[in-house]
Amino acid sequence: MPAGRQPLTDPSNIVLYEAEYLRLKAVLAMTQKDLRADLVLLIDRSGQQIAFEGPARDVDMTALASLAAGNIAATDGLARLVGEPEFSILYHQGKHRSIHISDVAKRFSLVVVFDENVSLGMVRLKVKRATACLEEVFRGFMRKTETVDFTAKAPPGATPSIYFTDEEIDRLFSFLKPGG
Amino acid sequence: MTFINYVAREINCKIVYYGPGLGGKTTNLQYLYDVTSADNKGKLISLATETERTLFFDFLPLDLGQIRGLRARFHLYTVPGQVFYDASRKLILRGVDGVIFVADSQEERLDANLESVSNLERNLKEHGFELAKIPYVLQLNKRDLPNAMTVEQLKKLLLVKGEPVFEAVATKGTGVLETLKAVARQVLVELRKSA
Repeated sequence: MPAGRQPLTDPSNIVLYEAEYLRLKAVLAMTQKDLRADLVLLIDRSGQQIAFEGPARDVDMTALASLAAGNIAATDGLARLVGEPEFSILYHQGKHRSIHISDVAKRFSLVVVFDENVSLGMVRLKVKRATACLEEVFRGFMRKTETVDFTAKAPPGATPSIYFTDEEIDRLFSFLKPGG
Repeated sequence: MTFINYVAREINCKIVYYGPGLGGKTTNLQYLYDVTSADNKGKLISLATETERTLFFDFLPLDLGQIRGLRARFHLYTVPGQVFYDASRKLILRGVDGVIFVADSQEERLDANLESVSNLERNLKEHGFELAKIPYVLQLNKRDLPNAMTVEQLKKLLLVKGEPVFEAVATKGTGVLETLKAVARQVLVELRKSA
């Protein structure tokens, strides 16, 4: 962040650019292909969906990301209650489809949805490999996020800037009509 | 924690509705869901008990439109208001960008409002946030009830930092959009200020 600028309310905002996005997608695609998974989804712990791969496009990704994050948060709470720093893996077994959720860099989570033809052991193996690759990408992009200038000097490809005018913000709500 | 995705050309923000039990947090979300066109909203998820009390959270993703070529997507969450669900409330504040405090205007709920504000302050602190610094608005809900305290009385007791105050009757939608708009504006301005 340039000198003299105020830090963000939460300094850990995430800015995702194309280069990192493509690298993340490549890791997810590799994992999805290796496992023939229905879905491989990367989320952050506040419930934002970052990227996904897989044929299960009918699944509501936004809802899945939010519920998975809630699930992870609740499990973290449970872990602390019993004196564990974390439970790094969550596994929900269904009759036909199962979900495997694992930690990535303490800040993100990898969600894999797979069917009964895939063994849990194989999922664990491939997720472990994917996690190492994803963490490598994240290390690079968190460094970039920390140093990003959000204004006109944003890195190439990062435009438009977020120096919104009041009028622009007001226009956002034009489709909503106050009730009452 | 705002997530700016230049690839998908999106800004994603998280707003949390906080406040005492039965104050109208879920009703705010339900109203927003009802008045928003299908193109601008996702599924409304309610993790509630059989008696429709919020157990963990409600969640509604809203697309507020384009700004500078970026889609502004707001993820709205409510917390469970009941006192004994504090552990869940704390979890939902993770990564929050802005908070709407939904106060119940009824006189007999004053203590519950005060306790909830102080609980919010405490829980935000655990996530490293300060109520004084994050985008925050106060909604005085249930203004239509005969036992509602006056706005002046409530402001005197509940204002934390001179935040915007909105009178609301969430069941009818009065003040609901205005409240959301005020906090969304603060979040976007905050983002701008950070630049």
